[in-house]
Amino acid sequence: MLSRSAERLYWLARQLERTENTARLISVTMNLMYDLPYGTEVGWRNLLTICGVEDAFNKSLKKPTEQHIIHFLMVDLENHSSLLSSLSFARENSRITRELMPDEAWEQVNEMYLYATHNIELLSTRRGRLLFLQEIMRGCQRFTGFMAGAMSRNDSYRFICLGRNIERADMTTRIMDSGTVLLAEDRNNLTREYESILWINVLKSLSALLMYRKQVRQYIKGKDVLNFLLKNPDFPSSVKHCLHEISHCCIGKLPNSEALVQQIHVLEEQLLAVDMTATTPLELHKTLDGLQTEFNVLHGKIAETWFFNNLTE
Amino acid sequence: MATTSLWDNYQADKAYDEMLDTQGNARPLCATLGQYLQTLDSDALKGRRNAADAAILEMGITFTVYSDKGNIDRAWPFDIIPRLIEHQEWKKIEAGLKQRLKALNCFIDDVYNEQSIIKDGLLPAELIHSSSNFRKECIGMKPKFGSWANICGSDLVRAGDGTMYVLEDNLRVPSGVSYMIANRVITKRVFPELLQNLNVMPVDAYPMKLLEMLLSLAPRPESTPQIAVLTPGIYNSAYFEHAFLAQQMGVELVEGCDLVVKADDCVYMRTIKGLEKVDVIYRRIDDLFLDPEVFHKDSMLGVKGLMRAWKAGNVALANAPGAGVADDKVIYAYVPEMIRYYLNEEPILPNVPTYLCSEPEQLNYVLEHLSELVVKPANESGGYGMLIGPHASKKEIKEFHKLIQKNPRNYIAQPTLALSTCPTLCNDKLEPRHIDLRPFILQGEHSFVTAGGLTRVALRAGSLVVNSSQGGGSKDTWIINTEQ
Repeated sequence: MLSRSAERLYWLARQLERTENTARLISVTMNLMYDLPYGTEVGWRNLLTICGVEDAFNKSLKKPTEQHIIHFLMVDLENHSSLLSSLSFARENSRITRELMPDEAWEQVNEMYLYATHNIELLSTRRGRLLFLQEIMRGCQRFTGFMAGAMSRNDSYRFICLGRNIERADMTTRIMDSGTVLLAEDRNNLTREYESILWINVLKSLSALLMYRKQVRQYIKGKDVLNFLLKNPDFPSSVKHCLHEISHCCIGKLPNSEALVQQIHVLEEQLLAVDMTATTPLELHKTLDGLQTEFNVLHGKIAETWFFNNLTE
Repeated sequence: MATTSLWDNYQADKAYDEMLDTQGNARPLCATLGQYLQTLDSDALKGRRNAADAAILEMGITFTVYSDKGNIDRAWPFDIIPRLIEHQEWKKIEAGLKQRLKALNCFIDDVYNEQSIIKDGLLPAELIHSSSNFRKECIGMKPKFGSWANICGSDLVRAGDGTMYVLEDNLRVPSGVSYMIANRVITKRVFPELLQNLNVMPVDAYPMKLLEMLLSLAPRPESTPQIAVLTPGIYNSAYFEHAFLAQQMGVELVEGCDLVVKADDCVYMRTIKGLEKVDVIYRRIDDLFLDPEVFHKDSMLGVKGLMRAWKAGNVALANAPGAGVADDKVIYAYVPEMIRYYLNEEPILPNVPTYLCSEPEQLNYVLEHLSELVVKPANESGGYGMLIGPHASKKEIKEFHKLIQKNPRNYIAQPTLALSTCPTLCNDKLEPRHIDLRPFILQGEHSFVTAGGLTRVALRAGSLVVNSSQGGGSKDTWIINTEQ
């Protein structure tokens, strides 16, 4: 397959995954806010940190109110990782690659984009916002489901799978990182009181609550949650599972991949070596930060191997 | 039929109407469609139209319009009322189109080789040398099967007497075939009952026939040929079509930057495995942008060395570079002669009578009758740069007077044909609108003609301009077999 198409599909998957993640994150946070009293150390700002756009938001000189933050995360096209930006990029990329996927794949993304651009006024009310977010999440899931059922496991599929899992692993580490604040020794009493609600919220942000409960039949503890999200081999959003998918289902089956497979193997070892019970919140933050850096390095290697095929003429 | 409200505004003018005869009754071929439309009121019809519009938006059937404010992606303008043609008539048209393309290919091959048609005195040599689509780089080339123009889109119009004429042959990079197929997909959603009951010929064979034709051009037939569609990119007005055809054929859609010609004069594409050889390229880029080594030096769309590879016989290009020499409205006037000269046959389909401004006598006639004639530049496409005499202002006529005198070779004139009309949904009523028809013809080892083609419709009342870039729409075209 063409290097250019491979790159487009990879980005298409990343952007759609980002769209879905952003939608879920906002929707879960909205629900959480109705439960929390003022004074807990969690707030809308937290979402900016998770999405890695705190600096960009500050530059916009807007007050960090619910309205402004949601607008920035959802529809601001200046913010290149806003939901609408991601969706527009995804649409563009699926248009460019529509000859590689069944028709419905492009139609699904296009429909979602049309829905989003035609229903922006829904965002002015909380109720409308929830409806909007739900529709977007469903659209992303329809795409993923359709691809699972109708796309051959060929190189095109592998690049989609690769993009999705890198983006997913990255998001999981970011959401985990936002949770480390709840482990801090100096957290206030109010935060302690609402702790389990907050951890449930972390799980919900990754659609992980039920699967977590099935796996860990205990009352909810922060370190268990983090351990599950980092190392559970079966849950699709756990970092371990993402890395396994990347190495076995994607990279391992692509050409010229020996060095990369090796590198992911090292990363998996590092991951398993993390002992959650013996880690301080600060160390954990560093570990998660380190993982995000590793994902960036991995992305660079992927691009070098398959996208910028600067073979001499 | 004139009693129902849908038809209130239906005043067929002097032109031939495809659906109603001069008495306002449905023609026998259209009886079923006519009765069916009787059962719908304007609300029901509006519902069908909305369904069609939604389908077009969701399927992303678009074309790009260039404007000062940047490129705009427009939804494909589609009218839900189909245009019907009887199969018996179509068989004759099909034979006529194959005959025409065969002769045109003989002509192109001749022009770049023996030039016997010139030596025999049937065509003045300066017409070739002054043609902006003649490529001296192609002299001496012999593409497989003598087929230079592998894909042709010919425009047909039905005049007042009911005769189908060929208006022009598009031999460079004709577009529209994907819309023909998309129109049928939409109609299946809008009028499933009708398609079920009438014996309408399917149109979706085209991509497979195109693939077969491209495969037949491969320079190394022993291995499975690697085929690619070469597009100028996402901002081209026909990008939808390029992607559609690549997808339907299951071949790669490439841009110039994906291809490279190596020192062995072979074309390769950059893939995740490394470089892979390409055997056949269906190029949707104009000649002059194909290869910066030979043509426009600053073309970013093309591939350096592509002409070298083609001339060395290492890659097949469809259509072959230089094929456009026959896509010239002056050359068009000679097509009936070509058919007699190369094939020793009588033309099955008539040309529209054409005045050549390069001929002094005809030039005088044209200049004196500008207000009655349609004047066209010899080498434009998309309906640009035309004068429609009866609709033109005095100022426009004066302008063309000057333009033609300045460069007579560049213009031809034709009588203004009353293009046939077809009922079209306008403001929830049916009104007659002028239409033409663009069938697509393939020629590689064998010839193929689409069942029908793309019917284009001028959506403005009275207008004769059907181009989508200028407010034209389209209709599904039904070839109906009434024999069974």
